[in-house]
Amino acid sequence: MNSVEVLQTDVAIVGGGAAGTYAALNLHRANVGTIIICKGLVGKSGASIFAGNLVLGGRLLGNTEENARNTAEFLIKYHNQFLIDQNWARRCGEWIENVYYPELEEAGLYFRRDEEGNVVVSSGKIRSIAANVQGNSGVPFMDLRRKQVLRAGIPCLEECAVTALLRRPDGSIGGLFALNYVTGQAVAIRARAVILATGYSDRLHARSTGSREMSGDGLAVAWRAGASLVNLEMQWWHTNDVAHPPTWQRMQVYPNPMLGSPKSARMINAQGKEFFNQQQDDPLAYGPYTVQLKALAREVHAGRARYDGGYFAGFDHCSAGEVDAYTTYGKSFRQLGLPFPETLVETAVTAHYRQGGIDVDPNSMRSTVPGLYVAGGLAGHSNGLIGLATYDGMVAADTVRDELGRLEPGDFPWSEIENERSRLAALRVACSPDGIVPAKMKEKLRALMWQKVGLEKDAAGLRSALADIETFRRDLLPRMGLKRTLPTLNYEWLDAIDAINMIDVCELIVHASLAREESRGPFMRRDFPQTDNATWLAANVMHRTGNGLRFERRPYELPFFKPDFVRKDNLEVAW
Amino acid sequence: MSHSVAAAAAQQGGARTLGQVERHDTLAARNARLADGDQLTVRVRRFDEGRGPELEHFQVPYRKWMRVLDALNWIAENSATDLAYRWFCGSKMCGTCAVRMNGREVLACWEAVEPDMTVEPLRNLPVIRDLVVDRGPFERKVASLEPWIERTSPYPGFPEPLSHRQMKHSSQALDCIGCMACYSACPVIGLGALTDFAGPAPLVQLAQTALDPRNNSEKVARALAATGIFHCVSCYKCEEVCPAHIPIVSGAIEPLKARAAVLVPAMARHSQILRRIVAARGRVDPGALVLGVQGLSALRNFPRMWRMLMRGKINPLRTLLGLRTAAARPARRLLAGRGPTS
Repeated sequence: MNSVEVLQTDVAIVGGGAAGTYAALNLHRANVGTIIICKGLVGKSGASIFAGNLVLGGRLLGNTEENARNTAEFLIKYHNQFLIDQNWARRCGEWIENVYYPELEEAGLYFRRDEEGNVVVSSGKIRSIAANVQGNSGVPFMDLRRKQVLRAGIPCLEECAVTALLRRPDGSIGGLFALNYVTGQAVAIRARAVILATGYSDRLHARSTGSREMSGDGLAVAWRAGASLVNLEMQWWHTNDVAHPPTWQRMQVYPNPMLGSPKSARMINAQGKEFFNQQQDDPLAYGPYTVQLKALAREVHAGRARYDGGYFAGFDHCSAGEVDAYTTYGKSFRQLGLPFPETLVETAVTAHYRQGGIDVDPNSMRSTVPGLYVAGGLAGHSNGLIGLATYDGMVAADTVRDELGRLEPGDFPWSEIENERSRLAALRVACSPDGIVPAKMKEKLRALMWQKVGLEKDAAGLRSALADIETFRRDLLPRMGLKRTLPTLNYEWLDAIDAINMIDVCELIVHASLAREESRGPFMRRDFPQTDNATWLAANVMHRTGNGLRFERRPYELPFFKPDFVRKDNLEVAW
Repeated sequence: MSHSVAAAAAQQGGARTLGQVERHDTLAARNARLADGDQLTVRVRRFDEGRGPELEHFQVPYRKWMRVLDALNWIAENSATDLAYRWFCGSKMCGTCAVRMNGREVLACWEAVEPDMTVEPLRNLPVIRDLVVDRGPFERKVASLEPWIERTSPYPGFPEPLSHRQMKHSSQALDCIGCMACYSACPVIGLGALTDFAGPAPLVQLAQTALDPRNNSEKVARALAATGIFHCVSCYKCEEVCPAHIPIVSGAIEPLKARAAVLVPAMARHSQILRRIVAARGRVDPGALVLGVQGLSALRNFPRMWRMLMRGKINPLRTLLGLRTAAARPARRLLAGRGPTS
């Protein structure tokens, strides 16, 4: 990697998921030049393909006023624990109702119909639909986006990891540095603006829904470029992902209401007793992940389940025809040869989305760094749903389009390019006999996060995690080396680059977790078990300073929904 | 556990679902024959600049319900940390981890390990390194078929009139995750440049929109003309390996052929002539077929004609007299109203 290929565009978009592709398509429509840089494959890697179904907001498809209100309440309370700009939620809801579904259908997305031509809608207080089939909606959705990008002729750099944002002398962002890890070619892209759209997920815990390529890159490069972050501690968890085999830790026994049936999956503890059934236990929690999690925490405290297994989920109260009519939910059971639906599978907790992320103004998706914008889940202002991410992609694109005239190309920061080139080159060294390979670094870090920064945490464990991370940085990183040092298709080299990002991001998450001295929804502190609306109905904003970081607490406005208590044990709070 | 699973699977369904029960039974057995800690013997085909291809051997400890991908992950974390293999989602959605395991195309994240297994890259695509193939040729083929909807009338608004009955074939094709397992298994693709056959996966990708009633048929015709679809030999290898269980031949390729016969009749010349002969005579007459498809120019290849004559493959007298068998009437009845006629 001696030469660096230099490309130029108006806007560089990092990420090929729902938000990144939609931002690119909107900018393309506005005749703004873009390049998508994707660590995996556009529309195939990342979290967007995991979208199981699509929630209906507003008055769509026979939604009543009450359904519409329920959806909004779900988003604000159960999905975000009030850590959300409620005015943004309202705008986004209106857009989903009026623009999102028509745009997707006009482009050809198939919303599942019955034989007579009615769109199949789930029953319940909050209703949803599916693209082709429930449990797999993200796949045709993102395949459509991939083909829209192809049709528009938007250039894509795939299997290309963005390793740094390039700062101009005034601190603004003037491009980015990336490594095509298939060819080993380094690329510098000069752009007037960068939109980061790397998603909600990371793979930082031993059990994580994040896919292979996720290593917190978006957070790491933004932080190094000076961007403020927010609510990093607000990690969301899946309660019912398949416990075995390891790779299926991303395979969920979906608890959401099923299309074409009034039932949904149920969960059973080690003693065979049901402890969660969405339709009975919390009909309003359409994606009842936090409610489930709290139910599980009570089982774990009583010794009837573990966070890493020992409890079960499935559809043994349903008929096979009922589950199979519109969903893929039987597929994992059948692939294991388990009689379906009468068998349950062992499930375990898995780190899922991060509700927090880069601090943005949700009106514009501007970050705190000039020239740097965020689209979708990487922004820390709301938890994930594919519709919300898509909306943010549009907002980011609109802002950049309007501000493009003021965003000058400026001087290209050549020295930053050279610094980054040599940083990466220094990682491509042979592993010494007492060295450590990057895959082991990642494994150790994920184990540490699982043990000390897992679902339930406390100050002692978090401080111990910080000490461990410091040891990693001081003792292990300098000894990290590779078995093969050629630059072409070298996943070890990529792992080494990832490992550094992961260490940085894990450390920030631990700091953020220490700062929020309460428990709220999926964020559980043993030493602060209460949800504290007096102090912590607030964003936990993290600013980078010359010698480290400082926190700021920024209260949320509550124009439509308010919590009805001041302090309460988190496990007693419905949401 | 393993015993009760197998017994329960055996009890499931009667003779009418024999195939399905057998498959489940096999899956149950595959998932229950190894216990935690058992050693797997894994051979991986390695290939790199200045190296191989060669098989490298590994011993991998079994973990409950282990997938092929779990075994590769174990190797990459503990043994050959330089192993190159592609995957992203690990749960049958991204379609990037297909490999061949013991000679059969599988999705690594989806397929159970075997006690003794050889893992190799897909066929019919250039290998970049170890198990990673270049997706480029496949992606370019898909792109050349313009796999999107072009509407001929304005979109009427959400939800537009559309039924699942109309979308049946298209909906099945939408389960495709582009893993290219079928592309590797296809013997016609294996012939390389000898045919212009697009291959099963690109055809499934095309079927998603070409069999969608909302699409412009002129555009569909243009795409079909570039597929070489009639080179498909209907061997069903593609269906056999499809991890998404898409009926690739019966649900995508055959309906696309039927569309092609209507929209681009010249492509279906061979099939149409065969059909006419069967309807007229109640049997296949190879002589008439060769004459029909190639015309009198077929006679120029005299040595070949002579061989066919000597082996009784053709009977000029019967061809010229146009003799029909008693099956002609039922053949006409069976073919009437099925598929396109010309």
